[in-house]
Amino acid sequence: MYYVAKVDSDKCADYKCNMCTLYCPEANTLMFDKENNTSWVDEDRCKGCALCVYVCTDLLDRSCITMEMAQAQEA
Amino acid sequence: MSMKYITPAETFKKYLPKDYVELVDYGPFGKSQEEAGPGNMGQFKELLEEHPMCSGCWMAYFIRVIFAALPNPEETVTLGTAGCGRLAISQAAVPFIYGNYGDQNAMASGLTRAFRLRFPEKHKDVITIAGDGGTMDIGFSMTMHSWIRGEKFTTIMLDNEVYGNTGGQESGMSPQGAVLKMAPEGKKFGKMPATDLAKAAGCVYIVRLSPTNIKKAAQIIRRAIFVAREVGPTFIHAYTSCNIEYSIPTEEVFKDAKEKEKGRFSFDEYMTDAAREVIERVEAEEKAARKARKEAMKAGAM
Repeated sequence: MYYVAKVDSDKCADYKCNMCTLYCPEANTLMFDKENNTSWVDEDRCKGCALCVYVCTDLLDRSCITMEMAQAQEA
Repeated sequence: MSMKYITPAETFKKYLPKDYVELVDYGPFGKSQEEAGPGNMGQFKELLEEHPMCSGCWMAYFIRVIFAALPNPEETVTLGTAGCGRLAISQAAVPFIYGNYGDQNAMASGLTRAFRLRFPEKHKDVITIAGDGGTMDIGFSMTMHSWIRGEKFTTIMLDNEVYGNTGGQESGMSPQGAVLKMAPEGKKFGKMPATDLAKAAGCVYIVRLSPTNIKKAAQIIRRAIFVAREVGPTFIHAYTSCNIEYSIPTEEVFKDAKEKEKGRFSFDEYMTDAAREVIERVEAEEKAARKARKEAMKAGAM
């Protein structure tokens, strides 16, 4: 089991800052949904480094992203 | 490559892999920086794809910025050599040539000359992206000679201050006293003065940076490419930490990069007068194009 980033989309939509997506080391993983103004995480690709949590919580003091246990998906 | 090779025929589109079609439709090929650039990463399909680099790798992040900042991805060729960097660079949708232990700058010399002969009417960008070992230790002679000869291409050094891919040996760019897995007594001499060497060897545009400000980093990458098209060799020395060998907790990688920016990776930009002229001209052109696009959009909305 491992941790992946999870975005609280309701909280995130209030800010629509799109900052975390700029600082993820993985390409096409932390994406921004322009229609709903929220970031979202492709759980299959997230390596759980928590860099986005640093950007969202420590730098911007917004705390929209948390690290959570990845849900086992049925094949 | 060129746009013509990338764009698939409409009839065959449905048979092509979904990832490829998405890349052509929503990727940065043939688009401006406002549509698909570092400023809106996460809103378009990126050139870089899933890579095997470690979790929280700052080098992978900088490579992502490099590919987003390319002024002309469809006319670009990247070269690299053994090291962590090539694991990600070779996964991007830009042609990549794998050099044999440090000869990336020698190959790039031939390639850029051949491109200038074969395509005199357009700019083909050649960029070497290698680690500190490939550029300053193993490929040192070939890097220096390509600069001394004044070969017109961009060299980017991803400096993680260690041989990270082979288990943590000290490199010429490790700081003095660095204790690493395979340098347990600590390094006995200091960092090689990479930017000074580049200046002495005749690079016309040299930057040392720690990529914390994405806008600035992207601007520098683009400047280096534009200057290399016309004036001469350009060099970017970027800090891309190795969180494994230097035991940096992944969530503090960004913080570490900011600390290094205040220390030995303080921002330093050097350019010759000819390079400054090119930069000023190109950036004025870009500004005018941006303004024209904005006005066209406003007119369209009305």
